[in-house]
Amino acid sequence: MVRRTLRGILGRVLFGLAIFLVLAGVLIPYLWMVSGSFKTTLEIQSADVLKPELSPRWFPRKFTWENYLRVNRTVRMLDYFRNSIIISVGTMVFSVGISLFAAYALSRFAFSWKRTYTLAVLSTQMFPGISFLIPYFMMFVLIKHYLGLPMQNTYWGMIFTYTSFALPFSILMLRNFLDSIPREIDEQAQIDGCTPTGALFRVILPLAKPGIAAVGIYSFIMAWNEVLFATVLTGRETKTVALGLLEYITAQQARWAGMMAACILVSIPVLVLFSLMQRYIIEGLVAGATKG
Amino acid sequence: MSSQARGRRAFRFILPALLCMLFVHVIPIFWGAYIAFIDLDIYTITRWMQAPFVGLRNFFTVFSPATDVGVRYLRSIWNVVYFGLVTIPAGYLIGLLVALLLNRKFFGRTLVRGLILLPYITPDSVAYNVWRFIFQARIGIVNKYLLALGLIKEPIIWLVGDRAIYAVMIASVWKGWPFACLVLLAGLQSIPQELYEAAKIDGASSFGLFRFVTFPMLRPVSATLLLLSAIWNFHAFNQFYILLGADPGKAHVPSTFILQEAFTNFHFGQGAAMSVFLTVVVLLMTVVILRVRRRGEEW
Repeated sequence: MVRRTLRGILGRVLFGLAIFLVLAGVLIPYLWMVSGSFKTTLEIQSADVLKPELSPRWFPRKFTWENYLRVNRTVRMLDYFRNSIIISVGTMVFSVGISLFAAYALSRFAFSWKRTYTLAVLSTQMFPGISFLIPYFMMFVLIKHYLGLPMQNTYWGMIFTYTSFALPFSILMLRNFLDSIPREIDEQAQIDGCTPTGALFRVILPLAKPGIAAVGIYSFIMAWNEVLFATVLTGRETKTVALGLLEYITAQQARWAGMMAACILVSIPVLVLFSLMQRYIIEGLVAGATKG
Repeated sequence: MSSQARGRRAFRFILPALLCMLFVHVIPIFWGAYIAFIDLDIYTITRWMQAPFVGLRNFFTVFSPATDVGVRYLRSIWNVVYFGLVTIPAGYLIGLLVALLLNRKFFGRTLVRGLILLPYITPDSVAYNVWRFIFQARIGIVNKYLLALGLIKEPIIWLVGDRAIYAVMIASVWKGWPFACLVLLAGLQSIPQELYEAAKIDGASSFGLFRFVTFPMLRPVSATLLLLSAIWNFHAFNQFYILLGADPGKAHVPSTFILQEAFTNFHFGQGAAMSVFLTVVVLLMTVVILRVRRRGEEW
């Protein structure tokens, strides 16, 4: 009996230790980021792992808010925030609107090319961005050349690009959500004289709010985080925060403290939005990896 | 309603999404295949129809071990394969172990589950920039602790040269395992409790429970997860570009190398040829995954 309780205690201690190690592994980079964001640039630059008295420390020698207050001083971070907000909100709006119609059709209509279309949507998720980037860039160049419509380094060019990136996942996630709303509800609305579009807006839309919010947030985050296409298609006027962060480190100067403060500011919108809709987005993402 | 009319009605609803897919995915894929056969550079890009048709020459160049581009491209392919062979099993194993831990009931489980999601939801640009800071030779904490433990005598240069790819692997596993954990946890929670009880009645040890109940029940989820990870492995770009910069040197992967060849050196034709190869590889892998998934699965 005593042996059994001893084993039980030992098991609990080991279990607690394992959980602690996992959390430490996850959280250490965040602690380092937060600590770095409160250090002075001088402290970071003069740090040296070889000299014990200068070895990088977890607690800032001199605690400072400067990095947050002057986040815009060396890098035009506030401009990049504005660009990212415009592009991400635009992506969110278009992605929700377009995917709502497509998902409604997939969920409620019977038509012959449904399976083919669903497979096509799924398969676009598989190709790496670099597969499209060169011809897509050329398309932008040619649209400008022949139609005089600038696409590169414009908000609408980026919004169109990111909307298309967000659509496959948005459509499939929203379709799953609409499938969970009983069909009888919109059938009844149509018996009462609604058109399919009318039923979508008057009956389905209010019921699908959580799904719509999740899709919108997913689209926003996707546009906020994208790097590859942004390196080629954005320019001085449209550069997003994901790329702006890289500007803190140049060949001449490494402004790690400023970068860490900017990193925290860039993460906040994503973390807040994600936690609002955590359950739905995670369900959707897990389903994406398990069910399609 | 006739089936034609139904198709037309669905078409009207799906049209905007179709147009987006057409312009961003379909046309560029085929156009890219065409560009791979012409000698397109910065001078001919607006007069692309006059760019000389060169047949398979771009493909020969990028796959030839005798050209500089070929050597570096082949190396980038090897790098991304090696990268996947390390990070996918590592992420899967860590994810599985933690999922098994989290599948128990304990005080604060919801909080722990929320916290381990952090790496997954943190933007790539943020996470990899922080890791870049961590891996700095003179001011980073990796070297600080390796020195303190006496494992190294001199600070290691992590982000340049032969070691660079390992630094990227570590950062990527850190960022990637929570997703595997999440998927596996969902898989674990869908295993009926009766199976465990039946196995216990039959006298199975706790290892036996894992070996004969948990593991076989996780097989389908694991297969899809690993195959999807293998495909998405070819998307690897952000971690290399952010940690190592626009020119990762020996640690190039196809995405970073093609970006550099096409948009720094303006070899659009060769870049397209390299992209086409990636597209074909991913396409073949997608066919495999669809076969694996088809068992009883209805979309």
